[in-house]
Amino acid sequence: MFLLNLPCIAVLLLFLTLALFSADCPAREYTFELDKIEKKPYHLGGYAEINPILFGLNKDAALYKINFYDRDEGSTVEKYDMTLQLDGSYEKGIARAFVRANGNLNHTYEGWSGKTTLYEGVLSLRPSPSLSVDIGKKTMKWGKGYAWNPVAFLDRPKDPNDPALALEGFFVATLDYIRSFGGPLKTFSFTPALVPVYGDMNEDFGETGHFNVAAKFYLLFLDTDIDFMFLSGDSKSPRYGADFSRNLTSNFEIHGELAWIKDFRKSFIDRDGKLFETRSDVWSYLAGIRYLTARETTYILEYYHNGTGFTEGEMRDYFSFVEKGYDMYLSTGDDTLLTGAVNLTEGRYGTMNPMRNYLYLRISQKEPFDILYFTPALTWIFNLDDQSFSLSPEVVYTGITNLELRLKGTVLAGDCFTDYGEKQNDYRIELRARYYF
Amino acid sequence: MLKVLILCAALTYSVPVLALDGAELLKTVDRNLAPPSYEMYRKLINIEPDGRKKEFVLFTVKKGKDKVAALFISPPSERGRSTLRLGDNMWLYIPNVGKPVRITSLQSVVGGVFNNSDIMQLDYHAEYDVTRVEAQGKDYLLHLKAKTKTVAYDQLKMWVHKETVLPTRIECMTEASMLIKTLYFKNIQDFGGEIARPSVMETDSPLYKGYKSIMLFANIRERELRDEVFTLTFMPNLDSLR
Repeated sequence: MFLLNLPCIAVLLLFLTLALFSADCPAREYTFELDKIEKKPYHLGGYAEINPILFGLNKDAALYKINFYDRDEGSTVEKYDMTLQLDGSYEKGIARAFVRANGNLNHTYEGWSGKTTLYEGVLSLRPSPSLSVDIGKKTMKWGKGYAWNPVAFLDRPKDPNDPALALEGFFVATLDYIRSFGGPLKTFSFTPALVPVYGDMNEDFGETGHFNVAAKFYLLFLDTDIDFMFLSGDSKSPRYGADFSRNLTSNFEIHGELAWIKDFRKSFIDRDGKLFETRSDVWSYLAGIRYLTARETTYILEYYHNGTGFTEGEMRDYFSFVEKGYDMYLSTGDDTLLTGAVNLTEGRYGTMNPMRNYLYLRISQKEPFDILYFTPALTWIFNLDDQSFSLSPEVVYTGITNLELRLKGTVLAGDCFTDYGEKQNDYRIELRARYYF
Repeated sequence: MLKVLILCAALTYSVPVLALDGAELLKTVDRNLAPPSYEMYRKLINIEPDGRKKEFVLFTVKKGKDKVAALFISPPSERGRSTLRLGDNMWLYIPNVGKPVRITSLQSVVGGVFNNSDIMQLDYHAEYDVTRVEAQGKDYLLHLKAKTKTVAYDQLKMWVHKETVLPTRIECMTEASMLIKTLYFKNIQDFGGEIARPSVMETDSPLYKGYKSIMLFANIRERELRDEVFTLTFMPNLDSLR
């Protein structure tokens, strides 16, 4: 089985050895070594991770045909992912520099490839707790949703299958101004942001050659977190948004987001591949709850409407076009239509949740049957438009200090011409071992 | 005669103290434990029945009645995480996720017997009313009732040493008087700045048989802090206070 690959075993053993040496000794007299907690002006840390993945291919799927039309890799493919994420910081006076770099090396059926990305690189000035200025590459992480954030105007979309992963930021200049009060309005903060898009800088943010302005206003009002935000500039359509989060009871939280995107430009094709473009104002929104039971079972349920997404009919046309291109390739060897489909897939039809209405449910149980440091969970993402879905059971073990082990499986299900039914894979199984230092 | 002696002994051992103001006594306990606004370091140790342990080091700041923020310094897997309490609101910030999420007082971000309410403890007099005070030998026994339903433990029984006016033991109970956990205060230490208080707090729970959690206190210092420190927007910057 692929998980027993020799290099993987070797790296896992190394992780386990490092982790076992670094922690978890029998109880002894309690001590508190104050010299170990003395703050230094610099810090370097991060994690090293290995992540072997087995994919079960769906040979009838449109996305399989696009990527594998000229090769046969069998019914499964493997990927061996290794990641080193480093965080470094240096402080002097009111200034602080922070860098987060992510280095990835992986091996797939196409061979070895690697990439190092600067996720964040920020210079901060903090003259007081009320005021701070940041310049550099950073993530803003606007929004209250867990799986999706329609109001995250300044961030890359996150993966709802793994929403806690760090993301690459954009180059911005921001300011945080905070005020506290004693009445029903306890906190107010104002965060303006400048986002230049010129040349290589922020080239994947939107149209280049523009200077964009955004801002967020935060209120803690009557024990409710409330944000208002906007993005203006010509790199993307202007957009306005709001979100909130509140505890109805101590163990029951509700949250929501609402975004209005003005004059959104949407491109789509018909089944013959003819390109159309429409411009309209669209709404995207999310409503969710988080509930914790007395037995420490956590339920997260969210509904997401993506106003910029494709309708069921538009997706069917896309899948039909791919089928047409594949049939043409098989009969004539001409892959022109398939090559065109590849361009349409990236960033549009091939995004993680390209359609309009989704439901997300995650159930996790802390230490069932008193098995310490063991957390099983189940995640279900359901496409309400075409009834296709993904289901991901997982177990996480954190019994060894600084080592996190996660075994996760994902099954995709859906009819022909549906979102999850036409994904490249039928299933995937992965083991992730992450060691923090 | 014997009956009189027994009656006197019983009254001496547990006597409702009519003249003592329980609320003022509780405020004194709070001020003896810490100044109204302070910073401190704590080490949390979770000990399992087989003797294995996990340790966490936190930097904590508190201001007034209802503002507490805590930053995880170690281990590396937790470093950078922070929690904030503002009145009845509680949030957890995880650096990778990058935005605070609301949590509850009964959860535990560190596992073990301590929960978020224990880690983000407010002044007792801010959350509890004193319903009765008894004298028990060297201690006063205070019976406390939560002021609101949002408080983690509905009832407390607090033994306070008469001389030091510091707690020696606290039993935390539900509304139905079921024991949830017991806190033991030990090793009084002079931290300077007129702060002399227990440096060790141990806890065990009938709900977690065989498990024990310990909190060690260090570097408790009075410190004036701006209200803006205790806000969601400031949570990623808590380390700048150290």
